[in-house]
Amino acid sequence: MAELHGLQLDDRIAAELPDWEAIVAHLRTRRPVAEVLRQAAAGGRPLVQPRCGVGGHREMVELLRALEPAGPGVLSVTIDSHTRLRHFDTAAELLARNPADLNGYPLVAHGWQRGRELAAAVDVPLEVRHGSPDGRELFAVALAAGLTSYEGGGIGYNLPYSKNVPLGHSLRAWQQVDAVCGVLAAEGVLIDRELFGTLTAVLVPPSVSLAVTVLEAVAAAREGVRCLSIAYPQGGEIHQDVAALRAVRTLAARYLDPGIEVHPVLHEFMGVFPRTRSYADLLILHGGLLARLGGATKVISKTHQEAYGIPDAEANADGIRTAALGACELLDFVRIDEDRVSEEQHWIEREVAELVDPVLNEPALLPAIEAAFAAGRLDIPFSASVHAHSRVVPRRDACGAIRYAGVGALPFSAAVLRRHADLLAPAPGARERSPFEAATADIRYFLDNEDRFHSSTPHRTRSEPPQRF
Amino acid sequence: MNTPAGPADRLVILGVAESDAHAVANQLITMQLQSHGFTVLNLGVCTPLSDFADAHDRHPHAEAVLIGSLNGHAHQDLRTLPELRAAGRLRCPVIVGGNLSVGSRKAGTDRQRLLDLGVDHLLADAGGLVLLLDMLHAARAAELQHG
Repeated sequence: MAELHGLQLDDRIAAELPDWEAIVAHLRTRRPVAEVLRQAAAGGRPLVQPRCGVGGHREMVELLRALEPAGPGVLSVTIDSHTRLRHFDTAAELLARNPADLNGYPLVAHGWQRGRELAAAVDVPLEVRHGSPDGRELFAVALAAGLTSYEGGGIGYNLPYSKNVPLGHSLRAWQQVDAVCGVLAAEGVLIDRELFGTLTAVLVPPSVSLAVTVLEAVAAAREGVRCLSIAYPQGGEIHQDVAALRAVRTLAARYLDPGIEVHPVLHEFMGVFPRTRSYADLLILHGGLLARLGGATKVISKTHQEAYGIPDAEANADGIRTAALGACELLDFVRIDEDRVSEEQHWIEREVAELVDPVLNEPALLPAIEAAFAAGRLDIPFSASVHAHSRVVPRRDACGAIRYAGVGALPFSAAVLRRHADLLAPAPGARERSPFEAATADIRYFLDNEDRFHSSTPHRTRSEPPQRF
Repeated sequence: MNTPAGPADRLVILGVAESDAHAVANQLITMQLQSHGFTVLNLGVCTPLSDFADAHDRHPHAEAVLIGSLNGHAHQDLRTLPELRAAGRLRCPVIVGGNLSVGSRKAGTDRQRLLDLGVDHLLADAGGLVLLLDMLHAARAAELQHG
């Protein structure tokens, strides 16, 4: 193990890096993502960022250049899954054999010099998006490449992304990443750290998402991180989603030092996506509007090819424009029922407090997080990892909002439990659904809405029938 | 990871490919198969092909090995199937389902190169899974009767 300012790294990767002073000196020459975020927040309109990453270097440069004219505020370097899991050799082999087989850009295999070429290829700053339970090597290469925004955290990049990495390991790996950001912040170099509240991306109750990101934010702040983007996944019910985005700021005010910049980020709907272009575009536009109403600094856009796999550049550029249109002035007349949002927000904040306060009251934060997941007092639905109980059962209510049908061992008060039970009470005479039926219908929520729309429209959009796989 | 009780005569081994952490469909397919009376040995996400082979060695009566792959890396993650088969392992239908290659425009060659590895059946949707398992089961029963 080699070390870069407290960041323990694989020797082979560390040996390739420039020295610390050279890394910091280069970072100082870059326009930081934090500055772009600050401008967007001051302007009151979210900036748009797409996900994008392909295996080959030349192809990645072309992709970034193809997306820049669509007007993103930040562009992504989305990393392939082999690199995410630290299978750097596999990523390098595939890169040599057939780069098109990689589902993202293998930055570690390409090396920091090529990372600098990516950053220089476009005027818009870049963020590294991935899904690494232990993203230390990738972070070191990203820093050396001069990239000033890095996604991930010890909970949100572990439980949805790997099978059996202990939380203690991922939390400590990310603690080292955050500590390096703290050192840099003290030297005046601001690294934006985005926290992935999206988790497994399907039917995530807002208070589960926000409890995870609040805990990661507090852990990051203790290491000296000064700029945090806190991401929340669009669930699909607009009052609940606006309330959750607004709660990012109120929770930050409650749990974090006021000197820390906090940016709410909306991840446009991450679940099963509509299959027709028209309805997919509607959902992308709707996400842009939601981001504006919820006061998000940034919105991560989707594309009309989402249902079919990784989009091509043209569809991705269209997605950026459509999301931006949803947040544009023409729709500024749209208001939301503020009473309904306030009520949702009150309950979300209360639920988050019931989840995180017992953990934050423990003397040592990281062991307390680990112990809470081991006991199920913190939990996420549909966990990929064995280190969460996955006993939380989310379900949509009659309005489409995501509620708790089961809470496992989450320590909610009687008032919270009663509210969720009331909201999920079946209509009189309704047929009882099996858990499988309910989960399937809730996951297919926008597909079913799309089918209803297309079958009820008199003129029927026959040119694009809903496709089936 | 979990082996809930069910009629022991219809066991399937389920999991998600090595580089892939998509857990939601995996958990729903488990629920669906259980509701049709299958016993599901669910190996969960990020499962190397050798772990599927080990599970099949331990449970040779399993009807099929079902491998989900949603991240487009199916070919890379299954590349050792010919070696394992040559060593006499995984001698049961291997069914692969999900999003089978990178990119949103799919080519027939993506399917063909998985079949060339020795994958027996490809499904793009879990909807047809129970039907396929029933057909394979019936074919095997007929083979035992007449063969």
